[in-house]
Amino acid sequence: MSLGFLHPLLLWGLAAAALPLLVHLFFRRRPRPTPFPALDFLFQARRENQRRLRLRKLLLFLARTFLLAAVALAIARPELLRPQEAAAAARGPAATAIVLDASASMTYRLGGRSLFERARQDALQALASLGNDEPATALVCGGGEAPRAEPAGFDKAAVRRVLEEAEPTALHADMSGCAAAAARALSESASASMLSQRLVLATDLTASAWRLDAAAPLVQTPRGAVRPEVTLLDAARGEPLPDLGVADLSVEPDPAAGPRGFRVTVAVANRGRAAAEDVPLQLRTGLAPAGPVALRAFVTVPPGGVVKKQLSLTLPAGGTTGLTVSLPGDALEYDDARALVVDVPREVRALLVDGAASPVKHRDAAFFAEAALASPASPVRPTVVDGESLSRTRFADHDVVLLLNVRSLGPKAEELRTFVEKGGGLFVAMGDQVDPDTYAEQLGGLLPRPLHVVKTAAEKGQPGAAERAARFATLDQAHPALSLFAGAAAEGITGARTYRYMLLRPARKGEGDQVLMAFDDGSPALVAARRGAGRVLLYTSTADREWSDWPIRTSFLPALQRFVSWLAGSLEERRTTSVPVGVPRALGAPEGKKVVAVVGPDGKERRPGSLAGAGPGGAAEVTPDRPGLWQVKVAEGGQERLDPSLAFAAVPDAREADTSRLEPSELTAWFGGQGHAHVAADAAPRSERPTPLWSLLLLAAVVLFLAEGLLLA
Amino acid sequence: MTATPLLSPELVARLATLKLRARAVAEGVLTGLHRSPHHGQSIEFAEHKEYAPGDEVRHIDWKAWGKTDKYYVKRYEQETNLRAWMVVDASGSMGYRGPGAALSKLEYGSTLAAALAYLLVRQQDAAGLVAVGPGVVRSVAPRAAASHLGALVDTLEALRPEGATRLSAAVDHVVEVAPRRAQVLFFTDLFDADPEILRRVAQLRRRKHEVTLFHLLDPAELDFPFEDPALFLSLEDDRQLEAHGREVKKGYLEVLGRWLETVRRQAAEADLDYVLCRTDRPLDEVLLPFLARRERRAA
Repeated sequence: MSLGFLHPLLLWGLAAAALPLLVHLFFRRRPRPTPFPALDFLFQARRENQRRLRLRKLLLFLARTFLLAAVALAIARPELLRPQEAAAAARGPAATAIVLDASASMTYRLGGRSLFERARQDALQALASLGNDEPATALVCGGGEAPRAEPAGFDKAAVRRVLEEAEPTALHADMSGCAAAAARALSESASASMLSQRLVLATDLTASAWRLDAAAPLVQTPRGAVRPEVTLLDAARGEPLPDLGVADLSVEPDPAAGPRGFRVTVAVANRGRAAAEDVPLQLRTGLAPAGPVALRAFVTVPPGGVVKKQLSLTLPAGGTTGLTVSLPGDALEYDDARALVVDVPREVRALLVDGAASPVKHRDAAFFAEAALASPASPVRPTVVDGESLSRTRFADHDVVLLLNVRSLGPKAEELRTFVEKGGGLFVAMGDQVDPDTYAEQLGGLLPRPLHVVKTAAEKGQPGAAERAARFATLDQAHPALSLFAGAAAEGITGARTYRYMLLRPARKGEGDQVLMAFDDGSPALVAARRGAGRVLLYTSTADREWSDWPIRTSFLPALQRFVSWLAGSLEERRTTSVPVGVPRALGAPEGKKVVAVVGPDGKERRPGSLAGAGPGGAAEVTPDRPGLWQVKVAEGGQERLDPSLAFAAVPDAREADTSRLEPSELTAWFGGQGHAHVAADAAPRSERPTPLWSLLLLAAVVLFLAEGLLLA
Repeated sequence: MTATPLLSPELVARLATLKLRARAVAEGVLTGLHRSPHHGQSIEFAEHKEYAPGDEVRHIDWKAWGKTDKYYVKRYEQETNLRAWMVVDASGSMGYRGPGAALSKLEYGSTLAAALAYLLVRQQDAAGLVAVGPGVVRSVAPRAAASHLGALVDTLEALRPEGATRLSAAVDHVVEVAPRRAQVLFFTDLFDADPEILRRVAQLRRRKHEVTLFHLLDPAELDFPFEDPALFLSLEDDRQLEAHGREVKKGYLEVLGRWLETVRRQAAEADLDYVLCRTDRPLDEVLLPFLARRERRAA
């Protein structure tokens, strides 16, 4: 027998019982001075009635206190649950499968307790209410495929253990699938075949957990498939679950804010019935759990709406970092923050070797390239040298070398080869100074393809030259260097006219190359290749206006910046840095490194024992079990360190962040109507009708009221 | 006899001076009820009475003996040999006037005393005054002159309620100054520090004085109309008591009832004429029964 309340929050009204004490202590009426001659009689009367008066006062105080307490308790609608055996006997024995919802939405806190704790208590009560002749099983529903449940049996202790050891997860739960699994568990039970079948589901009734388009579960018995009696234990007790959460977070470069400027877009969803006014929003940077706050903002979200907020952010340094947007904590912490890993472009040091320096700027081979690379939003820091001062320059001091119409490198050729093989980038542009034979001799192994002869498509300045000039016809938009020009953006490149360009010989066997751009006659315009640890791009026309008008077109600026970034390795292939919670993520360790652990948002390390596939090869797979930033620890040269490049973000499951609840009638209809299913506010099954106590309390209040009147009289 | 509305305390209180009040009250009652009960020095022959042992020999009418050969004693009616002492309690408690009263106990008692004095003097009786508080504060010897009435009333009017009550001082004073038989009228609330004060008053009765006790109590003292928390303050000392009126009312009325019963019993035992006076009742309701009683006793 236990006591429950339909409106436990209203128990705060019990504080009213302290009113008589407060009035007695703080609001006593000040006695009015009253001259009176027969004071001796008053003293005597008081002496004689002192004990009676004190008793009367005490009774009056108690009557008033209990009167208020009784009314407050009655409003909270207390109920006395009847003894289990009697209740079980009343409804008859049934094989029972209990499903406990352990999804992320169950971490919602209501009245100081999480819905999961309430649901588990409900489930345990439901288990305790079963008679000894009723077999039972339990299934914890939280994430992934619907788990299998043991066939219903009489080992109640084992079933209780399953429920007691359950923990809420950050994953999505498919309650429809779990109900079906529970029905299967009843079907497989030999002891349950001759009994009634019952499903007890302790859940929060969030709509996203149910697939009402699927078939309702049936239990297979020797008599055929039967609909089980379904009891839905509503952990939220019929109350709505308002929530304010970060629904989405995206980031894209913001050139206006500089080379490391980003535009962060935050979507905030309000799943409540009241507008959320001026909600503070914080943007933290860094991979550590509590990085510095970079931005603060406020959002106002209408009830049931989603508001997108754009924030402009400039990060101070290149490399991999994390962005975490957070809202003030509310009842559901699951979606109060959302993280993202972002690769911030490093600064690229580019050496522009000007092979045809000219005092007239627009005729200088390096003029347009330098202007393109030194623009405000560019991550590239260009340095220009001419052929004469090249001998005093060290390639190793730079990330990328651009040879612009250079006649010959002379003794620097060998240094350039070493530079590239060690990871440097090389961009080669043609011009009148370029001699294919000299290049073949000095840079033969570095170039993607050997140079052949110069082809003139049209003489610049001649009538009709613009029409006869070559155009870029094909672009490999999948390549990172050209991904910017996908779709309509390609027109910025295809509109350029090239009057003269270098034809190339076929590549030698074994030297992989990739044509990224080609002219309309099929001749390569831009060819990429890897040499050693470095990368090479060969552009078959000029980087000034001598052979082509591309340098004066708007697409030249971003294209050249992307080329140099790719050559420097800062423009990696687009990698997925976010993964939903519960979805496995492969951790490919760089060469020479081995993944030894992952560090979750909670700061705890998951060592190889819990990392699937963390073998000697260095690759591992991890399934993030909570949203937030995850870092990867690698072993390199005997040292263990966090590798930022492997960091990733786990994002909350949008289905679990949606706390919209189903109408109970929809769910009971799905289970077969009210004849088969009902929603109970607490764990007491329907046949276990609770005895309402509020009427008794109101009666007690009336009696106390009368008693108070009698005492006053 | 019915109460005369003209003598209600509310109307009496409207009269400015005690003299006016006393006159109004005295005129309002039946003065004809009053006859001297004493026979003594003759100034006007009344009747003959056959001599009996114990009669004074000097009152034998020798002329009647000569005519009838029987001894007759002459009897005379005299109107001036009644000596009355008004003992007025002027302690602090007598100054109380409750919420339902028009006169304080002292004002009510003074009016009664002055009215009686007026009636007495008008009948050629002598009226004196003893005002008592913690001790005897004023004393006026009895005289029957009409001019004496003014002094008596002025003395009464000058009384101010203060101090504790010690009626025994008045008893001692009367014993000392009234060796002859006299009428002693007490106007008091009997809130005396001495619980045996009535036994002291009874001493006067043992000395053959006619003692009448006008026990003056305010309606508030008899009914205790207080319902709220109050700080009750003594009128005679510094004592005070914080109590809820509603809570102590029942106990107070019980104690008061027991006390009044004791007072009545002791007065009856000592053969004292006891009159309980509510100060909201018309004054003639007090005076007329008293005068009628006195008349019957004289007869």
